[in-house]
Amino acid sequence: MTTPSPTVFVVDDYAPVRRSISRVLRAAGFAVAAFASAEEFLAQYDPRTLGCLVLDLAMPTLNGLELQGILAKAGSVLPIIFLTGTADIPKSVQAMKHGASDFLTKPVNDEDLLAAVRAAIEKNRALRREQVELSEIHARLATLTPREREVLEYVVAGKLNKQIAGDLGTVEQTIKVHRAHVMEKMRVQSVAELVRLTQRCGISAR
Amino acid sequence: MNAAACLTLAAFYCVVWCKQRENWVHLVFSSSAVAAAAIAAFELAMMHAETVGRYEALVRWIHVPVWVLIVSFVIFVRLYLHAGRPWLAWSICGLRTLVLILNFIFIPNLNFQQITRLHRFSWWGGEVISVPIGVANPWGTLSSLSLLLLLVFFVDATITVWRRGNRRRALFVGGSMIFGAILAWHVPLVIWGVIETPFFLCFAYSGIVAAMGYELSNDMARTVQLARELEASDKRLNLAADSADLGLWEWDIARNQVWITDKGRTLFGFGASEKLDFDCFRSRLHPEDRESVLKAVENSLGTGAEYRSEHRVVLPSGQLRWITGRGHVEFNGKGQPVRMRGASLDITKRKQAEEQAARQRDELAHLSRVSTLGELSGSIAHELSLPLSAILSNAQAAQRVLANGHPDLTELQEILNDIVSEDKHASEVIQRLRQWLKKEEAQQHSLQINEIVEDVLKLIRSDLVDQNITMDTELARHLPDVTGDRVQLQQVLVNLVVNACDAMTNCNASERRLLVRTGIENDSSAVIVSVTDRGSSIPEEKMEQIFEPFFTTKAKGIGLGLSVCHSIIAAHRGKLWATNNADCGATFHFSLPIGIPGAAVPISSNGQLDDHA
Repeated sequence: MTTPSPTVFVVDDYAPVRRSISRVLRAAGFAVAAFASAEEFLAQYDPRTLGCLVLDLAMPTLNGLELQGILAKAGSVLPIIFLTGTADIPKSVQAMKHGASDFLTKPVNDEDLLAAVRAAIEKNRALRREQVELSEIHARLATLTPREREVLEYVVAGKLNKQIAGDLGTVEQTIKVHRAHVMEKMRVQSVAELVRLTQRCGISAR
Repeated sequence: MNAAACLTLAAFYCVVWCKQRENWVHLVFSSSAVAAAAIAAFELAMMHAETVGRYEALVRWIHVPVWVLIVSFVIFVRLYLHAGRPWLAWSICGLRTLVLILNFIFIPNLNFQQITRLHRFSWWGGEVISVPIGVANPWGTLSSLSLLLLLVFFVDATITVWRRGNRRRALFVGGSMIFGAILAWHVPLVIWGVIETPFFLCFAYSGIVAAMGYELSNDMARTVQLARELEASDKRLNLAADSADLGLWEWDIARNQVWITDKGRTLFGFGASEKLDFDCFRSRLHPEDRESVLKAVENSLGTGAEYRSEHRVVLPSGQLRWITGRGHVEFNGKGQPVRMRGASLDITKRKQAEEQAARQRDELAHLSRVSTLGELSGSIAHELSLPLSAILSNAQAAQRVLANGHPDLTELQEILNDIVSEDKHASEVIQRLRQWLKKEEAQQHSLQINEIVEDVLKLIRSDLVDQNITMDTELARHLPDVTGDRVQLQQVLVNLVVNACDAMTNCNASERRLLVRTGIENDSSAVIVSVTDRGSSIPEEKMEQIFEPFFTTKAKGIGLGLSVCHSIIAAHRGKLWATNNADCGATFHFSLPIGIPGAAVPISSNGQLDDHA
């Protein structure tokens, strides 16, 4: 998977602000895509793009919080920096609760904006990396047989081969073979490493 | 005795006429009385005449008083009774004049060709009197004809007066005239020798004179009574005028003299004995009101319309006084203004109260505006943050563009353009705020109501966006101007829109729609603005209450908004009312009369406004 150059999406219904924010970002070397409304953005947004969203909170029709909801539902990991004309505490709390990357008040200083954008892009990059890793772990998990998967859950729970054999009603030698297959298929050297991987993809121990 | 009585009457009415020259009836009566007296004297002389020559001469000369008497009678009937046919009147006068002329042509006179002798015999009381015996002059028929016409004229006039309903006058004057005219027929009978009696025309005629005198004296008695009643009513009027603080005045236009009651003198600050003309009044007028008052006077003099004005006068002490005046112009027969009568009243206190009320209303409006602005502070901060944000980011972008080296000049130019226009935008917002917060008297301007709607939408746009309310507008095009105070009208609309938004707090997002409409009243007398929400409706029993002060349904309001709106619209001579929509929500409407200034500023001094209100 190649790493695309990051794009900053700007959504604001007030054209002068939209233009000026875009200019600052472009001058700082970012690629910018600006939209006058949430609908316009949704119509053109490609979820595979690396970057972040600088979003005006108060807009007619679809507002910033509503767009945040729509993106979250679609499973987007695009970090959102909210821009607002008024420091509306209930709304900022709501935005942050739903995972906003940052909440800035207009007029916004360029350094603050750029810092927030850089952090958001970094976050997006990290999230994407993790997504890649997670999907790889899931792919490895998918190669396990049901029995091996069962054994894995006992292993990460820290049980010995003898205990596992007892619980599963088989001989210790068989478990030993299963464990070797699991370690090989999951491409780990130690039980500690296996525990870390399974925790990341939410597999619970027995 | 008869003659003496007639002469006394004649003298009396002659004096009366001298005092009242326009009343010609008195002179006519006077001359008829003199003539009757003269006839009596002539007849007395004829009775005692001893020679034919003397008798003939007397008969000739008696025609002069008879002419005077008959002509006087005819004029009296026309002038006093307003009756008798004009052609008859003219024929009688003409015929009588002809008789008089012929009388002096023929010798000895018109009645006789010749008096052969005088028959002298003893009359009542043993007195010896003369009666003429001779040959009648055929031309004498003209005289008889005139008597006949006179009789017809009298009968016709009497019938007219009778029919008109004035029966007493018809009976007295008309009756005596008819009786006299019949009695006068003894003259031709004596001349033709049918009867033998001395002439007694004086009795026939002095009866008429007596009846005329009686009527005239009746009139005079009535005049005196009327004068007395007039005086009493004058006194009553003055009393009423004084107790109502009214100053009454009368302007004799031709002589340019003004009579005015004492109260009126005090009102305008004139001395008790000062002689007054129109210029004295003009000099008292406040310079700012002078032109409009003079225009109102001119208008009344020109068209005869009632004079009305409300204006200030400056007293000699420098004190200002508000006066309202009304007057009527009287015209003469040629349509020229002769006289103007009227009344003036001191309305300073009312004006002061009005001004104070207007001041209080403005103050309350200001307070309410400040509090509304408090509620809208978030929206306003947002409104200001937009241009400021654009300016800052543009400026910082420019710094970065420059720092990057090889700057794109076109881009820099665009950035600067944006900065300039956004700075102007911010100034406009601040300017609007300043107007809103300024505490000043309501102004009068010609305004386009659609501009006010657009101003208000700019002010509360972000508030609406914040509350997720969709605003629709239906603004009628080519609306006529209204007159009023821009800020106060904006205030009314902001209040209505904010109320409408508040009414929709519990609605679903999709139902939060607000409609602002402008239009014109069916009869084109007013411009109407309506604000329709889709929130809760107003209970019918509270429809009136909602405009009262301190009535509120909101937790945060103090209930002054609508009552202030109501008083602002009332001061603009408009109307504010509410209706419930058929489906849901309510609509608030206000109407403003087209082109008519409101009372928010001092009423223009000619006061014409009041009359059209």
